[in-house]
Amino acid sequence: MVRTMRLYACLLLALPLVAQHGRYLNESKNPAIGNPEAIAAGGKLFNGSCAGCHGRDGAGGRGPNLVRRALWHPLSDDAIFKSIRDGVPGADMPPTKLPDDQTWNLVAFVHAISGPAFENRNPGDPEAGSKVFWGSKAGCSNCHSIRGKGGRMGPDLSNIGGSRPLAVIREAIVEPSKDLFLLGNEAVTVTLNSGETIKGVARNRSNYSLQIIDRAGTLRLIDMAGVKDLAVSSKSPMPDGYAQKLTSEEMTDLLAFLARQALRTAEDTYSRGKN
Amino acid sequence: MNRATTTLLALFAITASAQVRYEDLLKGPGADWTTYAGNYQGWRFSPLDQITAANAKTLVPKWVYHVPNARGLRSSPVVHKGVLYITNANSVYALDGRTGREVWRYIDTRAKGGGVNRGAALFANRVYFTTGDNYLTALDRETGAVVFSKQFADPSKGISSTSAPLVVKDKVIVGSAGGDSGMRGFVAALSAETGEEVWRTYTIPAKGEKGSETWGELIEWGGGATWLSGTYDPELDTLYWTTGNPWPDFAPGTRKGDNLYSCSLLALDLKTGKMKWYFQFTPHDTHDWDAQSWPVLIDLEWRGQPRKAVLHANRNGFFYLLDRVTGEFLRGTPLIDKLTWATGLDDKGRPVLIPGKDPTPEGNWVCPSVKGATNWMGQSYHPGTGLLYVLTLEQCGFFSTSAQTPQPMKNFSGGGATEEGGQVILRAIDPKTGKRAWEYPMTGAGRMWTGTVSTRGGVLFSGDDDGHMLALDAKTGQHLWHFNMGELLTASPITYEAGGKQYVAIASASAVFAFGLYEPAVSVPVKKVTP
Repeated sequence: MVRTMRLYACLLLALPLVAQHGRYLNESKNPAIGNPEAIAAGGKLFNGSCAGCHGRDGAGGRGPNLVRRALWHPLSDDAIFKSIRDGVPGADMPPTKLPDDQTWNLVAFVHAISGPAFENRNPGDPEAGSKVFWGSKAGCSNCHSIRGKGGRMGPDLSNIGGSRPLAVIREAIVEPSKDLFLLGNEAVTVTLNSGETIKGVARNRSNYSLQIIDRAGTLRLIDMAGVKDLAVSSKSPMPDGYAQKLTSEEMTDLLAFLARQALRTAEDTYSRGKN
Repeated sequence: MNRATTTLLALFAITASAQVRYEDLLKGPGADWTTYAGNYQGWRFSPLDQITAANAKTLVPKWVYHVPNARGLRSSPVVHKGVLYITNANSVYALDGRTGREVWRYIDTRAKGGGVNRGAALFANRVYFTTGDNYLTALDRETGAVVFSKQFADPSKGISSTSAPLVVKDKVIVGSAGGDSGMRGFVAALSAETGEEVWRTYTIPAKGEKGSETWGELIEWGGGATWLSGTYDPELDTLYWTTGNPWPDFAPGTRKGDNLYSCSLLALDLKTGKMKWYFQFTPHDTHDWDAQSWPVLIDLEWRGQPRKAVLHANRNGFFYLLDRVTGEFLRGTPLIDKLTWATGLDDKGRPVLIPGKDPTPEGNWVCPSVKGATNWMGQSYHPGTGLLYVLTLEQCGFFSTSAQTPQPMKNFSGGGATEEGGQVILRAIDPKTGKRAWEYPMTGAGRMWTGTVSTRGGVLFSGDDDGHMLALDAKTGQHLWHFNMGELLTASPITYEAGGKQYVAIASASAVFAFGLYEPAVSVPVKKVTP
């Protein structure tokens, strides 16, 4: 049993990496998957019938949050279909008697909201969102970079739309300290024996060494034997209050812009005509 | 602040921000190790001298980093300002060079094609590497953030990428792998700023071009992969790149002629990629003897005259000395003892063949084997001893042809090859004469792929065929120290300095190890972290 639990713990740690892959272990070839009409129809059905437990757009309630599912429990499209059709025995999820095509519309919707934002049609104006991202009001680019431009303390967002569902990106902006695994992103203040004080983000640390990006964006490798004092914040270095700071339109536009940030898009790919 | 205090503070904190400039790459290794082969000349030589032939016996492991999911790492690290960068397929890991602690990791989970990656390149504030499906990716050296990721070749044409890029001036030079399944090899220069292509030189001519008369119908899939990074002469502004075998490897009947420019050394103009000259080591190769290891550039005296020379230890069993200005063949000597396919080289350097050594339907024993007399194991040239250190393999192999019709990209090589056990021998060769100064025979099954690095401290680091890391006296080949790494060695060591101390790093099949001189531990008081 101990072994099983350890294995489970390992899987939990490994899954965020798998989730970056953006997709499931076994993708269905059903034509509803990725089809905007099917997704829209599925969304209507979902918010009518499933949202009572799973929350609007899968944000969670009595039933599990489906949107963050990609971070902890990737299911194949076929498994989602089976859960909707048969329910989850032993849990409150009941079976349904929907026809196949409507069930697949639901699967397509769940697939879309829990998959990378880049793969979906998202509301908002990405051009306007770009101005929010690079502008001084939100100040996102003071800490975050996209394709080599921007700050260096926060996580790189060059592939954020290609790796995270829209709802997860929204949550990270609105509630940066919620449910966050801060290791690798801790805000630290280090005082060296020499008297120098360094503030920054610890990319890694142990009792013996510390690797931080300081406020100037410079990587510092520090030996703990040379440290007089170390302060680690229990909150994310990302500021709070974006829900108040930005208008709802600015937030939607910013999300539309971030959803477009993906690597391996057409412009990154070698033109077949060349060879 | 006196010098001692400054040094002491440096021991406690390293600032990793300085840019890697072209001038730094030109200078070659010092505290840092910034390119795959150490310097542009391909020496894998370091001027570090804390570790010496006298004190190497006190080497101990300093840290180990297990690369996630790694099985058979081929990567040789690069190091700058205390940070070590190691690659695996489609991934890069930045490690604190003193502790092995991870600083960042980048994994391209969408890349298709896993396999082998031989290393990264450093320039400006970026680390460059290529994915199995031919994206050149530039990452911020300190944060791992993506600067660009741009594809330079189409994997659906049988092309993949394994080599460490080479950065020269404003260009990132990349190669092409996949030559044993049919593809058209090339060397390409991409912009270091954007990844846009500047030039591309194919190693196999197009139909109708000069050299195409040395081929048959399958010329479009002729191979000539560029598996490894090459070298560069700044004065001549010339790149030196080796090319792989012609395809189908073991079906010579389908490609009558010399099969230019396979199994060759190409001299390319850095600005344009134009071929200045070529030298073909194995015309019409029938044994998969790619010109594999990189060309080593040295200046020496040849028949009383100073020459800019290029050395090449070839898989076909010969060790070559060429003029690197003109490509003129100067000398060829046997690299190994078991060599049964040619009696020697003529005055132009062309092999004098022994008849009946091509693969046959029944099969044919030939020495060296398909692995070759040497391969891509990192060689090292020590300017102090004047010796070139090469891992060689005394091994014969069985070569046969297939009756199947050749089909590109189906993992079809026109036949097959197997090999006997064989013996790895590390050889120190005097480039002036082509003669061996000493040799270090190994036990094992002839399966290792590790290479060498030599140092001003007089130490030659390498690995053996049984999974031991080795330190030998560079002058004499005498054993100084060894360490059992516990698995097969498939990558080459490097050496660097961090926090004022010299380290030697090497990837085993699954992990990176760093070694340094023994020092008693210093107790580190645990810091109570304040919120």
